[in-house]
Amino acid sequence: MIVETIDLTRVYRLGASVIVGLNRVSLEIEEETLVAITGPSGSGKTTLLNLIGLIDRPTAGRVLFGGRDTSLMNERERRETRLRNIGFVFQTFNLLPTLTALENVEIPMAFAKVPQEVQRERAAQLLEVVGLESRLQHRPKELSVGEMQRVAIARALANRPQLILADEPTGELDSKTGSEIVNLLSDLHRKQKKTVIVATHDEKIAEVATKTYGVRDGSIVKDR
Amino acid sequence: MCLRNLFRRRTRTSLCVFGVALGVALITAVGATTTRYVSLIKEMNVFYRGDVVVVPRGSIFVQAFSFGGFLHESALDEVKRVEGIRNAVPMLFVLGSPTHEGVIQLVPSNVTVGIPAGDWSVLVGSTPLKPGGSWPSANTSEREVVIGASLSDVYGLNVGSEIEVNKYKLRIVGVLRYTSAFLARTIIMPLKTAQEIYGFETMVSMMVVEPQEGIEREDLANRIETQVLGVRALTDEERNEIVEPMFRDIELWSLGITSAVFLMSAVLVMMVAVMNVSERRRELATLDAIGAPKSSIVRIVATETGLIGLLGGLLGIPIGAFATLLLVCFYTKVPLSLILGETFILVPPAMMLKTMMVTVALSCIAGLIPAIAFGRKNIAELLRLEH
Repeated sequence: MIVETIDLTRVYRLGASVIVGLNRVSLEIEEETLVAITGPSGSGKTTLLNLIGLIDRPTAGRVLFGGRDTSLMNERERRETRLRNIGFVFQTFNLLPTLTALENVEIPMAFAKVPQEVQRERAAQLLEVVGLESRLQHRPKELSVGEMQRVAIARALANRPQLILADEPTGELDSKTGSEIVNLLSDLHRKQKKTVIVATHDEKIAEVATKTYGVRDGSIVKDR
Repeated sequence: MCLRNLFRRRTRTSLCVFGVALGVALITAVGATTTRYVSLIKEMNVFYRGDVVVVPRGSIFVQAFSFGGFLHESALDEVKRVEGIRNAVPMLFVLGSPTHEGVIQLVPSNVTVGIPAGDWSVLVGSTPLKPGGSWPSANTSEREVVIGASLSDVYGLNVGSEIEVNKYKLRIVGVLRYTSAFLARTIIMPLKTAQEIYGFETMVSMMVVEPQEGIEREDLANRIETQVLGVRALTDEERNEIVEPMFRDIELWSLGITSAVFLMSAVLVMMVAVMNVSERRRELATLDAIGAPKSSIVRIVATETGLIGLLGGLLGIPIGAFATLLLVCFYTKVPLSLILGETFILVPPAMMLKTMMVTVALSCIAGLIPAIAFGRKNIAELLRLEH
């Protein structure tokens, strides 16, 4: 099992009001699966993804990553885990606008202190995998939204993580481009044996997922 | 990457760099000018070391010379009668404006010194003359003078050249080697010649008194002041006491101006860093999310602000150096083309390097503050806000 959450709870305090983002969510995610987390906006999908991805800390409950209790990790260990074991794909791609596609993919490797030549070679290979071998030197503003999301996926794969977390990866895309991204994520799971967790509204992802969790008002309501 | 980030906001970055450059230019110009003047005055401290200087009461004595009053030559005899004196040499200092071929006016910062022939070493110590030169003849009708190295270089004057002072033609018989900025700008002539051409017959500016062996300078100075009316006798310590407060004031003002300008530049850089960090919250939060070490994020921001400092320094130091040259031109009336060669004397490379290093270091520190503040924010919330 790569990820397990136990009674995971996240409460936000906004002034006097208390908002329950996630309420005692327990789930288990096996390795090499493609898991879809579905639900309407504000249901708690992103909160769950942030907690699994160690970007945020739970108010209560625990996240086990590879069997290790992440609540016992210090900030440096959490950061190292994010850098080497988890790849992130964001809805709005979050590419660095001043860098080329190639440089954007190299960035996580640079932080992981991968040698420069290896960075360049691996980044080019990854961009080839996502079908952007002819766009290496283009900056984000010179790419289509679909291409930007492909670059983001290549970046997520840069340090060869075991787990890919994608938050609404097709949210900004038209249906044709969205389908291409869904196929790409599905390929990652099938061909590269990655564990992929996708928070989405997109039914197409749910169709190819190994397992689907439905989230509503911060709780798991459906488990398929 | 950092340069590319900076120049995403070209106008903002350029204005900030320009602001820092102006600050650095001001610091360079103020620093160079004050350092120059302080070192020039300190340099004069070597004159009359171990001797007692007698000046008119009420005059102002700044290291090498006194101004604001004269002594009658008869005072020399009175001073010489004081017990414990080996020798007393009178000198006349005149801040003159001689002309050369009716074209160039030497400026008040150039000093004409009249000394009894043969007593030259009282002023110049062991400073030698350049080859081919000799000391002026004791015969005052010869109207011979020795000039400092800078006057020679700046006005192209050499042994055999003539200068005109108050309609008197003077012949240059020697040029001093460069040993001090003060001597480099002096015209040295026999006392009688100086008194005649400036119309100060029987008057002198001061006397340099050499004590006999074993005589305490302090005691001798006290005796002179008691026995000769209307004079002050200054020992080394007293002369230093006169100028020390001046050094302190000059250095304090310079430090104050420099600190204020550095602070303003740092605040300017920090404002830009705060704006940059604020605008790029999502990018920095993304780097944080994908596992970039906090130190890398801090380094990116600090490098960007350091680059602003570096660019500001690279632009500001030459502007400051040029402003210093213009200031020197303005005050000495020496043409810029002649001063250009003295750029690295007026603004020493060590000072440029120090200014550059402080500017870059302060700029980096200015970037650290917003970067560290960013590091304390919750990335999940930042990423969510951006949605």
